[in-house]
Amino acid sequence: MRDRQRSLRIARAAPACLLLAGCEGVQSTLAPTGPQAQHVAQLFWVMVAGSGAIVLVVTLLTAIALFASPRHRAFLAGDTVVLAGGLIFPVVTLSALLVYGLVMLGAGPGKMAASPVRIEVAGERWWWRVVYRDDAGSAVESANELRIPLGRAVEIELTSDNVIHSFWAPRLAGKLDMIPGRKTALTLSAEKAGVSRGQCAEYCGGAHALMAFDVVAMPLNEYDEWRLREFQPAQEPTTQETRAGKALFLSHGCGACHTIRGTPAAGRLGPDLTHVGGRTSIGAAILATDEASIARWITHNQDIKPGNLMPAFDIFSESELLALSRYLASLR
Amino acid sequence: MAFVGKSLLAGVGVALVLALAVLLFAWSGLYNVAASQSHWALTRWFLDFGLRRSVATHSASITPPTLDDKNLVILGAGHFDAGCAPCHGAPGGHSDPIVDRMLPAPPELNRAASNWSTEQLFWIVKHGLKFTGMPAWVAQQRDDEVWAIVAFLRALPQMSASQYRMFAIGDPEARPNDGAEIARNGMTMEALTRCVRCHRGDAQPRSALVPRLAGQSRAYVERALRDFASGSRPSGIMEPIAVALDAAAITALSAYYAGAPSPTPSAQPIESNADQIARGKEIATEGVPESGVPPCLVCHGDTRAPSFPKLDGQYAPYIVGQIEIWKRGLRKKSGYGAIMGTIASRLTDEQARDVAAYFASVAAPTAERLERPIPPPRRGGPRAR
Repeated sequence: MRDRQRSLRIARAAPACLLLAGCEGVQSTLAPTGPQAQHVAQLFWVMVAGSGAIVLVVTLLTAIALFASPRHRAFLAGDTVVLAGGLIFPVVTLSALLVYGLVMLGAGPGKMAASPVRIEVAGERWWWRVVYRDDAGSAVESANELRIPLGRAVEIELTSDNVIHSFWAPRLAGKLDMIPGRKTALTLSAEKAGVSRGQCAEYCGGAHALMAFDVVAMPLNEYDEWRLREFQPAQEPTTQETRAGKALFLSHGCGACHTIRGTPAAGRLGPDLTHVGGRTSIGAAILATDEASIARWITHNQDIKPGNLMPAFDIFSESELLALSRYLASLR
Repeated sequence: MAFVGKSLLAGVGVALVLALAVLLFAWSGLYNVAASQSHWALTRWFLDFGLRRSVATHSASITPPTLDDKNLVILGAGHFDAGCAPCHGAPGGHSDPIVDRMLPAPPELNRAASNWSTEQLFWIVKHGLKFTGMPAWVAQQRDDEVWAIVAFLRALPQMSASQYRMFAIGDPEARPNDGAEIARNGMTMEALTRCVRCHRGDAQPRSALVPRLAGQSRAYVERALRDFASGSRPSGIMEPIAVALDAAAITALSAYYAGAPSPTPSAQPIESNADQIARGKEIATEGVPESGVPPCLVCHGDTRAPSFPKLDGQYAPYIVGQIEIWKRGLRKKSGYGAIMGTIASRLTDEQARDVAAYFASVAAPTAERLERPIPPPRRGGPRAR
């Protein structure tokens, strides 16, 4: 008897634990930082409340059917109850939910400002190519990080030239697929400053689970400052060591796949590294941006992110590796 | 029933006694294992029969590639002269009295090779033969090298001594006539580590399957020799050579080749047309973005680090062969090899041929400049082992 009570207590507590765990974190759809994600969260809670109520009623009716007196059970079997509970109630409830859901989903993007900030995001294997354009039409590339201004509508144009990916920044908006040969667009906006995390939500091959990104929501003035810096070419190295790092970068073939604007490195296969040191993470939001992580990535990326398309460059001496990673970390 | 049971028991008994007798005989040491005494006719027949049957059965499923290729024959000849001829002899050579006292005596291959089919020769060269002194191929993964030896063995019976010498060693050179030099270095001109046998000095290699080293960067030649020596770049031909070189020899050799003037490409060793070269140039300069192939010249062009090899003027069959080896994952054990292995796996066979044709068509630029000229390594010398 006591055992049963205890297991009942645990059974009651378990879903609550799950819910609490889901509310925390940089990637939770239940902790929205913008109106689009708020709609998703609201829809979720309304659904939870509604379906919870229905489960309660159905449980009650089942209990009546099993344990109540013959008179009450006969009432359940009557035509009126069957017609009302089995036909009218589902039709009305489901229709109401459908209308509510449609209104909710349609509500977001339509009411946004007329001139949104535009960012292009292309799904790569297995990282995100992010393109910012200025009014003059010139574009700069970044990777695995979206910087957005607070309070402004941001329209994200999604493409892929390889396989289907799905763009999902749970604290800001719902998912949207990136389909080869098509352009899809997602509008979102942030109301709270800070870093949240996004993830590819459609299985896209080997390193899918390690294809993440950060969204950095910044106050408008900080965003403008950042954007100005982002459009500049890379900083020239200032120390002897970072100059050596730059030379190593250029002579060891890194530029075949990576661009550093302002240097001869103009490869397009991998992420643009012009301002890699200023990003929050490397490797598609799986390692912090510091010298040690960059060095580890260069030599052991196939262990860190197996199957990613960059070969491991385990060819440098300790001092060369330090110079190279210091140079990259200095590109803010 | 009882009769059957009794016979079975008797049979088992006899077998046991026989086995014991054999064991006793071996234990007694009466059997003479001396190589100075030849086998009995019966033993010889039995061993020979077993060997032939084993080779025939094990080589039954082998399909040979096209071997009618002078490049394969010359590459095979170079290795044969260093690795096989010491025991098996070569046209124009004298039999070695020490080797003559081996049992079984290594057969003279210009005659004996015709006793075996092409598949059987391949199997023997690759796997060796137990209890005969015939070793297995050093790099078991490199069937392509074994086939070069087989191609050579197939061509050997028709070869005159001078032709053999031309293929295996190269242009006739003056033999040492100075008594002091003979006293120090002996007559052994064809030392195992003699590079020019296949790579030549400052001329084009005779086989298009052999890389030209003249004008190659010092760091690259050094790295290649160290990779061969450590086994991280498998090759039955180069590993024994690299292992025999000490650090000073590796440094001196790479300096020599870096300083040697690179010859301009002569007639193209394989047919290639302008279209193919143009397609190859596109890959070399632009890469193949849709399949993730970066442009070759970022690592192999003029701005490369010295540890990356120069490909200008290399023979196309050599480049195609190496890309093939990378695709099979045989060169990915070293740090540099892992980089190229990833890229090679993204090239189609046709793209590999195109890009090889392009590099073969480019005239090699002038050699790396050195502070002081370094003389070519001394010829001959003792056989290091």
